[in-house]
Amino acid sequence: MRHLVFLLPALLLLLALPDTRGRYNDDFDDGEDIAEFDDNDFAEFEDVSEDPAVDVEKEPPPRAAPSSTPIEDDEDEATVENEDGQDEFEDGDGQEQDMYSKYDNEEFEGYEKTNPSFKDTLIYREVPAHLQNSWESYYMEILMVTGLLAYIMNYIIGKNKNSRLAQAWFNSHRELLESNFALVGDDGTSKEATSTGKLNQENEHIYNLWCSGRVCCEGMLIQLKFLKRQDLLNVLARMMRPACDQVQVKVTLNDEDMDTFVFAVGSRKAMARMQKEMQDLSEFCGDKPKSGAKYGIPESLAILSEMGEVTDGVMDTKIVHYLTTHADKIESIHFSDQFSGPKVMQEEGQPLKLPETKKTLLFTFNVPGMGNTSPKDMDSLLPLMNMVIYSVDKVKKLRLNREGKQKAERNRARVEENFLKQTHAQRQEAAQTRREEKKRAEKERIMNEEDPERQRRLEEAAQRREQKKLEKKQMKMKQIKVKAM
Amino acid sequence: MADPRRPNKIFRYKPPNTETNPTLEDPTPDYMNLLGMIFSMCGLMLKLKWCAWIAVYCSFISFANSRSSEDTKQMMSSFMLSISAVVMSYLQNPQPMSPPW
Repeated sequence: MRHLVFLLPALLLLLALPDTRGRYNDDFDDGEDIAEFDDNDFAEFEDVSEDPAVDVEKEPPPRAAPSSTPIEDDEDEATVENEDGQDEFEDGDGQEQDMYSKYDNEEFEGYEKTNPSFKDTLIYREVPAHLQNSWESYYMEILMVTGLLAYIMNYIIGKNKNSRLAQAWFNSHRELLESNFALVGDDGTSKEATSTGKLNQENEHIYNLWCSGRVCCEGMLIQLKFLKRQDLLNVLARMMRPACDQVQVKVTLNDEDMDTFVFAVGSRKAMARMQKEMQDLSEFCGDKPKSGAKYGIPESLAILSEMGEVTDGVMDTKIVHYLTTHADKIESIHFSDQFSGPKVMQEEGQPLKLPETKKTLLFTFNVPGMGNTSPKDMDSLLPLMNMVIYSVDKVKKLRLNREGKQKAERNRARVEENFLKQTHAQRQEAAQTRREEKKRAEKERIMNEEDPERQRRLEEAAQRREQKKLEKKQMKMKQIKVKAM
Repeated sequence: MADPRRPNKIFRYKPPNTETNPTLEDPTPDYMNLLGMIFSMCGLMLKLKWCAWIAVYCSFISFANSRSSEDTKQMMSSFMLSISAVVMSYLQNPQPMSPPW
């Protein structure tokens, strides 16, 4: 490919020789000297007689050939050369006519018709884009690189903003936390339980803080779930669907710190969603989320409760005051002694055990600003943290009366029974397989016994056991029949 | 008000077990990593420039969404693979990419 490109101008240069000679005429004043010099080459062949007819035919091809050279040869000088060429044609015409008149007319018999075809067969090939010395042809690549740079810029800016927000939150809440907890900040890796005094960065948009060492609770995990400001795709998606930063507080309690009840309050949307998603809320709070207008909280909030007594117990004046003043920031508040997280999708064929439960208080707060938060907004979350601390103390003191306790126990027994019924078939299968395995193991043992006597004795023992089992079963069936009658 | 702090009741932080709760994990970085690898292999084998560029983007997105506990070697390897896909496509065919329209 490249060789062709170099050959082409060389070839065209050869054809353009008469043209270049004409150009010299412009540069130098004594054109006559050059003309004489040129004529001297062919002086011996010079023929005085001029034939205009032949010359006319000869002129188009030389004119066509040199005119193409400026175009193909060098794009930058194309226009200049062209003009020069055109000018020189007039000057050089006379000379060329002299040149061609030197040739014998008989030489070109039968040649005239092929000349016009010269122009038609000459195809102008476009220079491949990557050989052109212009960056414009690479505009798609430049676009891509610009996109990447924009992504990197957004990553740096987003990461810094999230980091600043997290630090602002921690600075405003540090005092409250340090006065309430002995351990503030722990990543679980250090040997000794010392406060790290800083947030644990899990992601570019999630920050954790573990606090422990307080009465009434085991520990408190605070998760700052910011928006993914570092991901440009997410930023663009959020332009369509606005979302806000969230602060999630999870307080885990010891067994003695909380009585047995399940309760939740929050925005209507959140309550509807949680009732479907959360294991404990779906089992214990069957009714639809109720309005809390009776207690004085705004209409935007709804309540899910195990029983009315629980709601009465939780909704004291202070909590109501907190809920009313900060209703826009509260996404959900969930108190539960049967907390096991969201419902887990069960796989077929797995013998199911009741999920492990833990006494938990779960708070989810929305940071005001709907995405456009500034570090100053973090101060407005401080009263909510006060509410969290107050709730922890309150739950410790909240005890159901006898009736409430009985109801709660019945509920829990009911849930367990339902669960056992559902998994009954699965458990039976599991028991069956276990029995079969035992039998097989025994048989193998009998077979492996070398001593024939012992073998016989083991076999007899196994037979006797089986007979006893059958008899027992028969007795049971008889008893059931008698009872039925 | 009495001091509520109890240094003797300190519990250490235990990172939540993500095996029991797979729904809590964000799958984006893993998906993007996989997509990036697939696109870069396509770009290398089929000599498609746009595949290679998309692979670069995927590896960037995966990096931005990754957790800090994740291995940086994995990120770097997918990133290097996508860059090599782009470079190889251009070495084999230096022509600029043509838009689909």
